[in-house]
Amino acid sequence: MSYLIDTKEGASYLVMGNEAIVRGALEAGVNVASGYPGTPSSEIIESLSTVAKERNLYVEWSVNEKVALEVAAAASFAQLRALCVMKQNGVNVASDFLLHLVGSGTRGGFVLVTCDDPGALSSVNEGESRYFARLMEIPLLEPGTFQEAKEMTKWAFELSEELRQIVVVRSVTRMSHASGNITYGKLSDVKRTAEFKFNGFVLDQDEGIVISAPVAWKHQQQQEKVKKAREIFEESPFNTYEGPKKPELLLITSSACYLYSKEAINVLGVEDRVGLLKLGTTWPLPPKLMIKHLSQADKVMVVEEVLPFLEENVKILAAERAGEIGIKTFYGKNDGTIPMTGELNPDLVIAALSTVLGIAYTPVPAEYDQTAQSSVASGAPAREQVFCPGCPHRASFFSIHNALEMDGREGFVCGDIGCYTMAIGSTGFHSLKTLHSMGSGTGVASGFGKLGQFGMNQPILAVCGDSTFYHAVIPALINAVHNKSDITLIVLDNSGTAMTGFQPHPGLDHNVLGEEVPSVDIARICEAIGARVEIRDPFDLEGTRETLNELIEDASGVKVLIMRKACALSPQRKNKKDYDVHVDETICVGEECGCGRLCTRIFGCPGLIWNEAQHKAEIDEVICVGCGVCADICPQGAIKREEVA
Amino acid sequence: MEEKVLKRGQEELRKQVLETRLCTGCGACIDLCPYYRSYRGKTAVLFPCVIDEGRCFAYCPKIEVDLDELSGRLFGKPYDGNPLGSYQSITAAQAGDRLKDIAPQAGGTVSALMYFALKKGYIDGAALTDRKGLIPVPRFVTDAEDVLACSTSKYTAAPTLSAVNQAVKDGYKNIGLVGTPCQVLATALMRSNPLKADDFVDPFGLVVGLFCTWAIDFRLFEPFLAERIEISRIRKIDIPPPPSEILEVFGDNGTKLEISLDEIRAIVPNGCSYCIDMTSEFSDLSVGVMEGRPDMNTLIVRTDRGRKIVEEAEKEGYLTLSTMPEENLEHLIWAAGNKKKRGLAKAQDEGMVNTSDDETKAYLRMSVEVLGRLTA
Repeated sequence: MSYLIDTKEGASYLVMGNEAIVRGALEAGVNVASGYPGTPSSEIIESLSTVAKERNLYVEWSVNEKVALEVAAAASFAQLRALCVMKQNGVNVASDFLLHLVGSGTRGGFVLVTCDDPGALSSVNEGESRYFARLMEIPLLEPGTFQEAKEMTKWAFELSEELRQIVVVRSVTRMSHASGNITYGKLSDVKRTAEFKFNGFVLDQDEGIVISAPVAWKHQQQQEKVKKAREIFEESPFNTYEGPKKPELLLITSSACYLYSKEAINVLGVEDRVGLLKLGTTWPLPPKLMIKHLSQADKVMVVEEVLPFLEENVKILAAERAGEIGIKTFYGKNDGTIPMTGELNPDLVIAALSTVLGIAYTPVPAEYDQTAQSSVASGAPAREQVFCPGCPHRASFFSIHNALEMDGREGFVCGDIGCYTMAIGSTGFHSLKTLHSMGSGTGVASGFGKLGQFGMNQPILAVCGDSTFYHAVIPALINAVHNKSDITLIVLDNSGTAMTGFQPHPGLDHNVLGEEVPSVDIARICEAIGARVEIRDPFDLEGTRETLNELIEDASGVKVLIMRKACALSPQRKNKKDYDVHVDETICVGEECGCGRLCTRIFGCPGLIWNEAQHKAEIDEVICVGCGVCADICPQGAIKREEVA
Repeated sequence: MEEKVLKRGQEELRKQVLETRLCTGCGACIDLCPYYRSYRGKTAVLFPCVIDEGRCFAYCPKIEVDLDELSGRLFGKPYDGNPLGSYQSITAAQAGDRLKDIAPQAGGTVSALMYFALKKGYIDGAALTDRKGLIPVPRFVTDAEDVLACSTSKYTAAPTLSAVNQAVKDGYKNIGLVGTPCQVLATALMRSNPLKADDFVDPFGLVVGLFCTWAIDFRLFEPFLAERIEISRIRKIDIPPPPSEILEVFGDNGTKLEISLDEIRAIVPNGCSYCIDMTSEFSDLSVGVMEGRPDMNTLIVRTDRGRKIVEEAEKEGYLTLSTMPEENLEHLIWAAGNKKKRGLAKAQDEGMVNTSDDETKAYLRMSVEVLGRLTA
């Protein structure tokens, strides 16, 4: 049995923030959970799937975040408790449905968990999902500790039911992926039955039809819910204050920044000068609580990630109530005291706090810092992000790069989101020239492919992964076909959502619950849309390159090349070597004319190493997964492979 | 002072031959290493190479070609600027009686020579140019019968020398080649041990050069033809000897399309306009069409080993020789001289001859006297 469903109340476990959220949902008696994989959110749905059977849950990886929110909404409409999980930019994808959902309202407790990624540790954006709460006019909760992550999630379902509105719980990478001790509460034993009622009065929230019209009336209802939330938040235990009654500086914070702020106050020893107001209910702000604390200090500093969301809302309140609380001096992002981009950490908060309080603080002697910096710079090898040994993407991009160079017309690839995003760098031979959101590579390519009438004659390529294909590429592909855009789409089909940890997607024949499900075939979809489709194994380098060149030259419209090879870490390939590979050093010419270290200097599989002393290439047998592709790139035939029986 | 390394590698080649569009796609840099590929008539650099002195640079006929040195090595005398280059004899030739039934395009002299050389073991393989659709492709043959399959004229540049590089890697020691003047110039560079290797051996058994005024850029030729005829229906392309001034395209249903050479000249590779060699001056034997005689070839014998093969081939009935008419010779000299003057003037105007600057390499080097005479 998973420790996540330990029934012992008061049991203490060291869990990840994401697991604390899971436990909270289980204590709330969640029935349905859906989501789309995205770091740092993915463990929530995965963990729930592991206990789905015991807890009678329905858990799914949906095709994208919008559909995930719709799937979960259905459960709420049928009076079940529903959880929907995504990363920050997933909320953008789901936002159109969300806008209408907040108009119609909800029934069973419905919680949207968004895990933001300040500093873009695993993202190509550091989008702020908190603004959606204000934009959509729905309550926002931000846990500041691991215990709170659990309690807040549980409470969010109750709040949602009380308001008949979806509630957002916002985590961040350092909350979701860090671990802390939590104390368990009681697992819910409420049994819920799904029934969708629609025969009541049309405007009845519980038994009428679920729509966002009449809009003005529903919108007004929605704002009543916000007002109610504001009142409830006044008494929320998730808003806490530590410090003197009348502090010199009021520090307002939320989420992981609470811990940074606490540490900063402690390190500077300014507990008697600074009051720390930690907010768990960050939108709508509870005005009475805020006024109470704002009245006590002339200086106010707001510490948060990433944009000045809280800062702005506090300032609006302070302006509205200036007559009562007096004029404040604000410190935060807008005045530059705190960086406006990237992650915060205790050091940054210490620096900000010491400046505001006029404390001279140097964390380490300048000399020591300099020595540390220079020794790190000189001692550590340069490490770039690279594809794993045996990764099909390396082979795929080798062929894509070579096909484009041979074509010689300045063709380029519009990139997309997945491990293959790394092909903007040397590991993918700098192949990607645009990179935006899921599915955007194909959409942007569709546009480039129509610029022929303005003189563009560069070949236009796009790449996407298999999961991305289902998520958002299909509409863009339809657009390209229908509008006769001349593009070549390469689907890097590695049989799973590899980057986020191998979650199943609609192309596979099993789902997250391990059940057999119909797989949806990419090639047949593309053919039905009207594209010319070819399928190649990217480990056949020359065959793939030849096909690609032929497709690029075929100016008849949309071509799709599916490069099909399972990820080296996939269950099918993991720990299975196709070949034993070794270098015949009598043949390897190393740096000499005729090779120039192609394998270690250009191809760059981590399984290949350069022996400086011998001036020969070698195979790192510990790392090599035996894909054998390097034997095909070696110009001298020095890399030998033997099939593993 | 730090000694300046004179780099003669990929970067120099890329900047000064490929980016300046001097490259004719001869194939001398292909299949030596993983970094160059020829595709549809164009040479592509796949990845940067960091070697300071590469064979790619050393073999390229469009950069740092020292004509005195090459002439000295092949003919034992400095380059003198003669319109037809250095030679022993010029005769009229055609395929001999033994090959009459299978006589290919024009006089068939080239096919006859390669057929004979392979059959008699003067060469152990021949790098020729075959065709895949419209695209000329290198082909290395070791069977004499296969020579005939490659016999038709191609009018677009082919990376034939890549087949030589591959054959050298495969261990062939007496390679035959049929090539255009730029390709033959590259073979002369290959034969002169440009990188001063200790274990160097000349890999060629027989180099037959073709007469060439220019080639056609394949990538421009294909769309050019596509506007006029369905590409898949083309069976043969021919340029009849002067003074016809047309290119003929034969279709599968007996149609014949005639295109004025003036139109064709617009799609000639830029690199051809700097060429000073019409008759493949650094070959063993050079062969071209003979004006007014579609069934005959002009054969220039340049080296001893070329002469020996011609004599044997004639003796055994593979080749028929006759005297070259005086007026034809005069016209050939006039045409070759014109090409030489035109190409050299252009190259010199653009600062590409005997350049001393380390930064920009010369295209050609020759004695000041010869240069003065040719550009007077």
